[in-house]
Amino acid sequence: MRKSLIGLLLILSMVAVACGNSLEGQEVIYFGAPATDGPDGQAIQSSFDQFTEDTGIIVTYVGSENFESELLAQIEAGNPPNIALWPQPGTVRAQAEAGNLIPLEDLGVDLEEYRSNFSPYLVGLGEVDGVPYGGAHAVNLKSIVWYQPAEFDSRGYAIPDTWDEMIALADQIVAEGMTPFCFGMYSNGATGWLATDWMEDIMLRTGNGTTSYDQWVNHEIPFNDPIVKNAATYLSQIMHTDGYVVGGSDAIVSTFFGDAQNPMFERDGNGNPGCFMHRQASFIPGFWPEDAKEGLGTETTFFPFPDMEVPSDTVLGAGDMWAVLVNDEATQAVVDFMLSENYFDAIASDVAGTGSTRISAHIGFDTSKYWSPTTQKQADFLKAALAANVFRFDGSDNMPPEVGSGSFWSEMTELAVQGPGYIDTALDTIEKSWP
Amino acid sequence: MEWLCFTKLLDGRIIEMSIKSDSNKLLSFGVRIIAFSVFPMIWFLSQAILFREITNRIPRALLIFLAITIGSSFIFFLYAGMNKIISYAPKSYQEGLYGAMFVGPAIFLLGLFLFYPAIRTIYLSFRDKWGENSVGLDNYVWAFSDKIMQITIRNQFIWLVGVVTLAIMIGLIVAYVSDKLQKGEAVFKSIIFLPMAISGVGSSAIFKFIYAYRPPPLTQIGFLNGLRVTGGNDDMGNPCKNNIIENGRKIDYVNDGCTQPIGWLQQRDLTKFTSFENVTPDDSFFSWLVNFPLNTILLMIIMVWMYTGFAMIVFSAAIKAVPTEITEAGRIDGASEARIFLSVIMPYVKSTIVVVATYLTVTVLKAYDIVFVTTRGDFETNLLAVKMMDEFSKFLHFGRASTVSILIFISVVPIIVLNVFRNKEDEAL
Repeated sequence: MRKSLIGLLLILSMVAVACGNSLEGQEVIYFGAPATDGPDGQAIQSSFDQFTEDTGIIVTYVGSENFESELLAQIEAGNPPNIALWPQPGTVRAQAEAGNLIPLEDLGVDLEEYRSNFSPYLVGLGEVDGVPYGGAHAVNLKSIVWYQPAEFDSRGYAIPDTWDEMIALADQIVAEGMTPFCFGMYSNGATGWLATDWMEDIMLRTGNGTTSYDQWVNHEIPFNDPIVKNAATYLSQIMHTDGYVVGGSDAIVSTFFGDAQNPMFERDGNGNPGCFMHRQASFIPGFWPEDAKEGLGTETTFFPFPDMEVPSDTVLGAGDMWAVLVNDEATQAVVDFMLSENYFDAIASDVAGTGSTRISAHIGFDTSKYWSPTTQKQADFLKAALAANVFRFDGSDNMPPEVGSGSFWSEMTELAVQGPGYIDTALDTIEKSWP
Repeated sequence: MEWLCFTKLLDGRIIEMSIKSDSNKLLSFGVRIIAFSVFPMIWFLSQAILFREITNRIPRALLIFLAITIGSSFIFFLYAGMNKIISYAPKSYQEGLYGAMFVGPAIFLLGLFLFYPAIRTIYLSFRDKWGENSVGLDNYVWAFSDKIMQITIRNQFIWLVGVVTLAIMIGLIVAYVSDKLQKGEAVFKSIIFLPMAISGVGSSAIFKFIYAYRPPPLTQIGFLNGLRVTGGNDDMGNPCKNNIIENGRKIDYVNDGCTQPIGWLQQRDLTKFTSFENVTPDDSFFSWLVNFPLNTILLMIIMVWMYTGFAMIVFSAAIKAVPTEITEAGRIDGASEARIFLSVIMPYVKSTIVVVATYLTVTVLKAYDIVFVTTRGDFETNLLAVKMMDEFSKFLHFGRASTVSILIFISVVPIIVLNVFRNKEDEAL
């Protein structure tokens, strides 16, 4: 009796599933690194609200601090999420090579259109042997220097257009008994990435510009090439010139990168800020103290990283990239949506109310939709660079992990501590560690 | 003749008995196979296949309901089935089989979740990045030649010696002294024991604040840096204070002459301290001392702070077990307090020290949380357990990650062996 009852239930439920709309109520799991209830996680989830209403497909974003290792475990266990969002495209390529990802073509994506919407360079970051696996998502801007216009104006400082002007300004500030640069690169388990960002920005503007930058990232020129050494010397000029950096060059590695800019918001006994310039990516306002955040765009804003040997409009940035691990119809619909122009509407207009400052990688995205004027300005920069194909992705993210999140970080930390005499040793060590 | 007949009869019986016992053995063997492998296997597979087939076909709510009802009755029917099968075995074997029935699953699960992964880890430690090709001893060569690995092993060694010695020494002294207290012993011991109640992550967070560094001119929120920047005068003769407002004026520490804050957890040597600033390599003692890994020691202190209470409680019990007659006899003979401690108390608590040392050694080898929360292994503070995770999740190198975990495993072996011998000695006594 009982057996037949369970059997009946089973049959009934199968019938119910078979008769419904094929996509209605289907679940798509979207797994990434930003925490589920953090500002970015909430923003990502909010971008699917309208989509779920229209199609009935339930997209659930799940974020985890241990995204990488949890995803590995899920893949090994044969239970991967439908879509995963990697903070670095390099990992997307590694997973594609391991055969865990589904090419975008198999998902019905028009590759021509995709390339023209997101720039061939960005699409190329998720390609293995010319086959695109990764979907471009959000990008951020790294080639900017934060400053406070009021402090500049009251002292008669001008925004430096070239590296030499920046150095001259720094010398002037030092001569007036203050500190020009905020510089902090301590980051739990990732100390050094800030210096690698500086290196990349300098590399883009020295040597042969984007050409030598690409060669450097792809290891077509050795890491201890004169071009790289020249860039490291420029960086060392900032880090090791007496009085340039808050707390002295020893403090660079001790200062948490999230705290690094706080001296700019603080006034010492004489009413002077702790520093005047801070080169850091567009996401840094998320780390500012609450009252400083309110002054974003007015009290504190940014100027583009100054020109160097090769004047150009190149822009350094980073961004995340998603890829599909489980192919079904619902996932294909989600992929279509994520590559469309209006995918970023909810995030840009801050529907979730979390103040997300993410910028869409879609060239056609209307930048006036961003809620914050600062983000609009950054997005315009990025859009122009992407359209002109001079946007370059954070190089260390595209190097093998042994270098990009290993020796490059640790040797840059060592360089900050040891001083300019260590440049050769640092570059040789990194070159040797390249697998 | 009659006698011969009797023996023959006896022989027959013996043969008959042995045949019977043979068949009993055979029967019990069969029962064993069916009860402990065939039946559980079929039972388990039937469940697994059932759920694999229905997972994507029936609604989630029904699936959850089925999983809970069938899943929870799984063990019950497993034992009921095994019980029934064993009841067919000959009476004389049943008791042993029932015993095996209860131990069996535990041993099986232990094998599945402990023994198999251990073997697999050893296997992977001889393979490449993704475990695809054999690389011989390459990973082990890397483990002892890579600069960062060498520092990690050095740190692990410093931690092993430092934490175990300090926790035991301080614990022993505190236990002995608190034993002498006339009153308030319980309160005193509770205070020392308190850190044990805080999780490793919590303790690390507390100490992270003690060691905190913020760039000047921000107010130093770290205890050590707060002390460092307060006091003294700058070159102009003004006092240095940690951004304290006095008479409406902020007194800071940014002027020349004030002591500057330092990032405690980034100090791999002592060069930031005035007494070591001008050390030349010729001065062998000081140049050795200047390389003192301050940050590793500061992290070690967190663990000592956590485990001293544990050591104290155990030692306290051991000291209380020392008969007062012996210590009194020592006192009458005119022995000093130190002498009594070393010659009377110590031999009594020696075996307890070994137990505590064993426990602490294993704990230090597994130490992960402290380094993970504070520095995440940067600035040469890494430990093997954190390095293992780094190799696995950061560098995605399964071979090296396995090799590091094998190193940890190997370091525990001598301690286990030592304990086995010690237990045998105790039994011999």
